[in-house]
Amino acid sequence: MPEQLKTFEHKKRNWVGKPLKRKEDLRLLTGRGTFMDDIRLPDMKHAAILRSPYPHAWIKGINVSEALNFPGVRGILTGEDVAKMSNPFPVGVPVPPKYYCCAIDKVRFVGEPVAVVVADDRYVAEDALDLITVDYEPLPVVMDIEEAMSPEAPVLHDNIGSNIYSQRFFQYGDMEKAYKEADLVVKGKFHFPKYGSTPIETYAVIASYNPFSEDFVIYNNYQGPFVNHSLVAIALGIPENKMRWIVPTDIGGGFGTKTGLYPYIALIALAAKKTGMTVKWIEDRREHLLASATATDRVTYMEAAVKKDGTILGLKDKAIDNTGGYIRAPEPGCAYRSTGNHTGGYQIRNLDREVLVVGTNKCLTAPSRGYTCQELYFSLERMIDLVASELGMDTAAIRFKNFIQTDQFPYTTPTGGIYDAGDYQKVFQMALDKIDYKKMREEQRNAREEGRLMGIGFSTVVDPSVTNIAYVTLALTPEQRAKGHPKSGSGEAVIIKMDPLGKVHVIACTNPQGQGHDTVISQIVADELGVHPDDVTVSNVVDTHDRLFSITTGSYSSRFASVVTTAVVTAARRLKDKMLKIAAHLLEANVEELEIQEGKIYVKGSPDKSMQVRHVAGTAHWNQAALPEGMDAGLYETCLYTMPTSQPPDELDRVNSSNTYGFMAEAIVVEVDPETGEVKILKWASVHDAGTILNPALLEGQVMGSCAHGLGGSLYEEWAYDENGQCITASFQDYLVPTAMEVPKIDIGHVEIPSPFTALGSKGAGESSCMSVPACIGNAIADALAPLGVIINELPLSPNKIWHLIQKAKKKG
Amino acid sequence: MKIEGKYKFLASQEHIWDLFMDQKNLEKAIPGCEKMEEREPGKYDVLLKIGIAAIKGTYTGKVEVVDPEPPNRYRLLGEGSGSPGFVKGEATIEFSQEGQHTIVSYQGDMQVGGLIAGIGQRMIGGIAKMMAGQFFKKMAKQLKS
Repeated sequence: MPEQLKTFEHKKRNWVGKPLKRKEDLRLLTGRGTFMDDIRLPDMKHAAILRSPYPHAWIKGINVSEALNFPGVRGILTGEDVAKMSNPFPVGVPVPPKYYCCAIDKVRFVGEPVAVVVADDRYVAEDALDLITVDYEPLPVVMDIEEAMSPEAPVLHDNIGSNIYSQRFFQYGDMEKAYKEADLVVKGKFHFPKYGSTPIETYAVIASYNPFSEDFVIYNNYQGPFVNHSLVAIALGIPENKMRWIVPTDIGGGFGTKTGLYPYIALIALAAKKTGMTVKWIEDRREHLLASATATDRVTYMEAAVKKDGTILGLKDKAIDNTGGYIRAPEPGCAYRSTGNHTGGYQIRNLDREVLVVGTNKCLTAPSRGYTCQELYFSLERMIDLVASELGMDTAAIRFKNFIQTDQFPYTTPTGGIYDAGDYQKVFQMALDKIDYKKMREEQRNAREEGRLMGIGFSTVVDPSVTNIAYVTLALTPEQRAKGHPKSGSGEAVIIKMDPLGKVHVIACTNPQGQGHDTVISQIVADELGVHPDDVTVSNVVDTHDRLFSITTGSYSSRFASVVTTAVVTAARRLKDKMLKIAAHLLEANVEELEIQEGKIYVKGSPDKSMQVRHVAGTAHWNQAALPEGMDAGLYETCLYTMPTSQPPDELDRVNSSNTYGFMAEAIVVEVDPETGEVKILKWASVHDAGTILNPALLEGQVMGSCAHGLGGSLYEEWAYDENGQCITASFQDYLVPTAMEVPKIDIGHVEIPSPFTALGSKGAGESSCMSVPACIGNAIADALAPLGVIINELPLSPNKIWHLIQKAKKKG
Repeated sequence: MKIEGKYKFLASQEHIWDLFMDQKNLEKAIPGCEKMEEREPGKYDVLLKIGIAAIKGTYTGKVEVVDPEPPNRYRLLGEGSGSPGFVKGEATIEFSQEGQHTIVSYQGDMQVGGLIAGIGQRMIGGIAKMMAGQFFKKMAKQLKS
């Protein structure tokens, strides 16, 4: 933990906080956006990928001769080529599997790439795929998370010898004492399903290789570069400056799943190198639903040691995450990313954790929808309700009983998380008021008398934004960490420049996938420099040659609102300082006396002693000799900002895994039809503390989107496999994504508790409700079905599943 | 997945057994069958062109008649693969006489993989039943001729 936490004072703003219309919308709505598929390069060829139809099999041989002779085919890349031309991807576990961008001698999930055909167009490439014959020797499959750990289970990777990729034990506080002091121990087992985020735009890569300069140029729609530019460089056996990644202005959604794009970046790059062509690959929907990326599925055993009055003294839990046929970076983050906020918004001081990360014959994972927090909070929030039920306590009251108090912030959790600011009581109370809680309980009493199944559910969760990459090293023990190199940080880079006429251009690298970052950046700069948002333009996509970035760069874990805004403010203030110094020099005044407002720099108290911003800008560029001695010419400033709260873990495995912590309270009222198992949402309140609100219109969109995602995960979405390892949800016919028809009216509320750790007081908001809603709907349905003795510990709660649970309970009772 | 069904033929059990054992009849009756060649007695190579769940494709495969107990029952093993995926299955075919009719009933297990599994999983049971129905209808036609 830093000696002195760096804090900011916040002041009133003109533009930040206003619902300014998005700058991005004009080009998107008129079809002038530039997405990956809009990129046309000369002599571009097209790739199609042959994928394994088997979940687990040896590849005895591949015959591509007929396909190679098919007219229009330019070349074919197989696993044999990939093994010669690349190295396995590095991953942060002690004994890593050999994960290449293509199957070499074995396939380990349905959809795993086996070969790539490069042809004049996609039709030809697909036809050529049909002519490739692969001789597979099928092997027994392992699909169940717990069965994967048994010694009898088929082993996916012989070099590991078991299906356990990572395992660690953690102890915080004194759980033994907590058990001794407890009046009751409540136990639960929870199963969180595997599902993705299905962005409208699928993965896309256009790669070319220059054999003379031995470098790659790769267009892609990745959310990073994050750590993966470095990892792909290692895999391709090249230094990082020999691989240029370029992202187009627009990406059609990501939600974390596009951080799993990088193996395909390597694959298409190798296809380009082998064939000597520029190769374009656009993933089709079926490929995406088979072999892109999902969050992990997880089995959790949780025990709570509690007192009769509802105080939760400690938690013990064992969580087993499934990363599929291989494990790839940033996994095993699934087990460690939420370390700092593991105990949620509660004053729980004792915690024993066992984490396991295993493999089965399912497709691979990436951070998706709040990386690990959906899984964590489903268990934790269901547990809170189970404890309340055992104690005969109201589910709202038990939360108030255990919440962190407002005077305890900044609050350090037993696991090392530093919660910046919050008022959990206020946020939760607003949600309760919005659904008229007392009245709902009365209505529930009446409904139960009539035999109707009405339920009320809550979830109150902490939203951990801005990853501190230190968390990945928790996969190693303190002793192992001491021998290696520590990792830490959350940095983001911003360049701000002013042209000779006083207009501003900002260059950042957040690769927005629809969040509206450019609009917010314009608002911030307008406030700082006294210009109008229309005077500000933004370039905000990665070019690893031309832009400033580091291994933490990208859009993930809602880091824009906290770390990027602070970097923008800092860079803008550096520019403002320079402008004021120039003006002071030219006006022969003191810098401290100067102020900027609406395009003018003037002496406070003597407004006629002033000059136009554009004269300052003009001087900086056109009359460089007139600048103060020793000052750089022009008007450019940069900031690569990392939050000081991003420190490596200590020797007790404590780490501040995030840097700002927002809070959500969901309150949902449901009615379940006992005949059909269908769930109807009667009321839904969703209240958010995202700190200072940057743009209320954008925030509204983010909340609605995350609510829709949360609803999908609760009732509809599942990336399902049958017992033979076949993926049975490879189209939207079976993988159910909520539409406008499924999303009910949501009463959204906001409470602004600014973070002292960010320049504007904002925290993240993008992932919010997708983490809290599955737990809330689970709780609501559990409450509705409580009179029948139904236990809810899994998702999605489809009508089919609910109906069977009701029948099962009827038989028992 | 499990598949089962039955069909009634107006003929004696021995007659129906012979009908089912004749490769020429099978070749005509199996939906989409373009070629059927006997490699060894009871073992056949087949080429099928069929649409499953609106996915048309060509499948090359093997069919094997095992444990024949004339004229009462035999087991059928089959597997085929093509660009749309692969199919693997086995079934027990039973014959029984009911007055002037012979009931042919089948009970089996089918596995599909690849494209057809991902897209048409929920339809496969129904499609299998439909194809079985087509097969039996065509066999019945050949009975008449």
